[in-house]
Amino acid sequence: MKIKDELINLNQQKQKGWFKQFWSNLYRSIFRYGKIPQDAEGQSYAVFNNLFLHIHPVKVSRHSLKFSYTFGLGIIAAILFLILTFTGVWLMFYYFPSATEAYNRMLDLRSSVDFGFVLRNVHKWAAEAMVVVVILHMARVFFTGGYKPPREFNWMIGVVLLLLTLGLSFTGYLLPWDQLAFWAITVGTSIAGYAPIIGEPLRKFLLGGDTVGQEALIRFYVLHVVILPGLMVIFMAIHFWRIRKDGGLSHPSENEPTKKGNSR
Amino acid sequence: MREIDTKQVFTKDANKTYGLMELVKGTKPTVGLQPDDMVFTWPHLLIRELVLFVVVTAFLLVSAFFFDAPLEEIANPNHPPNPAKAPWYFLGLQELVSYSAFIGGVLVPTFIVVILMLVPFIDRKKIGIGKWFAKERSFANGIFLTFLIIMLILIIVGTYFRGPNWEFVIPWETGGLH
Ligand code: HEM
Repeated sequence: MKIKDELINLNQQKQKGWFKQFWSNLYRSIFRYGKIPQDAEGQSYAVFNNLFLHIHPVKVSRHSLKFSYTFGLGIIAAILFLILTFTGVWLMFYYFPSATEAYNRMLDLRSSVDFGFVLRNVHKWAAEAMVVVVILHMARVFFTGGYKPPREFNWMIGVVLLLLTLGLSFTGYLLPWDQLAFWAITVGTSIAGYAPIIGEPLRKFLLGGDTVGQEALIRFYVLHVVILPGLMVIFMAIHFWRIRKDGGLSHPSENEPTKKGNSR
Repeated sequence: MREIDTKQVFTKDANKTYGLMELVKGTKPTVGLQPDDMVFTWPHLLIRELVLFVVVTAFLLVSAFFFDAPLEEIANPNHPPNPAKAPWYFLGLQELVSYSAFIGGVLVPTFIVVILMLVPFIDRKKIGIGKWFAKERSFANGIFLTFLIIMLILIIVGTYFRGPNWEFVIPWETGGLH
């Protein structure tokens, strides 16, 4: 903001009522650069001065904005995670991780909680969608060569994000404590048990016993609501940070010239 | 004419009809290539993110009203369903486990994760970047596409074509889709 504008602004403030002036001072204390930015300077500062927007670069390439390049899949995965966090925390108000109570709470969500069925359904469908979208995002990155140097490390972070997504989905699967949940986890954890040497200890560690029961439920619950989401946030932050540090999204101009000529 | 933003690099002199745009080292003329194709995140990217957010939220809300998440009877350790199935994304592995526990449960999943981690170190040549299914990359893309299709087929078989005792069933003949 230029000094001249600031002075004009001060002059205008003298003529406002006390409330308007307070409001404008308050607003200015939070958003230093005024309302919706119109010029290049304002547009830069809008991103630069905002913690939440600052995960973005100030400028991005047109190529990376083309919908047909990314199909927005990475962003959609992040949006789904946001929605899952929101609905998940909300569900925690009603859920109880006990082998005798959990199932009743599912019934409550259907009958006595206002819009409880919507809450549970959104969480469930968003979770299924996230698994699909993350896999499609991985395919997009592969088919466009987005993992080539300097993005090797971000691809590896991506693989961790995929495993975390599957882990979150799998641990959440047990929580309703119905037949579907119980036997899917019984089968799923027995697959883990086939590994030589570490398989059986790993299975027992996950279940807190020999079979799926109360101990398994509480372990899956803690993994599902604290540990895995926490790891997810950390790795997503690294993922986004690395996109910036790797110079934005992959771009045709990064191709090395071939013998036939520049392959732009 | 679209205005090209060169302000950060060179200030424009209003009296001149020409100006220094960019210094390019090279042997070929690069007429028509702009200095960069960058645009501001605000509003270009943010508006797209906002639109996606609204669309995704609306889509989920509508689905949630019309399709209920499944909920079966309360868990009963004494009554295993036949067959008991893992969540769908593990059904490809469960299908493999039905042939060999070691291959499906250990070898294949470990192999998949290790190879995925190594992908960018196996294929490092900077060709075919930034374009879908670039011709220069058809070998790598072919392998990956084959891998995805095999996983998909295994998952479909495990989901729809496996009945009691993991025997092969034709879903539209037995009637019951799982
Ligand atoms: C929770 C899961 C994930 C989230 C939220 C996420 C998010 C994102 C976002 C927002 C982008 C920007 C471009 C775009 O939208 O496509 C991106 C790019 C990228 N992602 Fe992911 N991602 C996830 C999982 C993965 C996975 C599983 C992989 C690969 C195994 C991966 C590898 C990459 C790479 C290499 C890029 C840079 C691509 C390029 O420059 O063209 N990500 N990710």
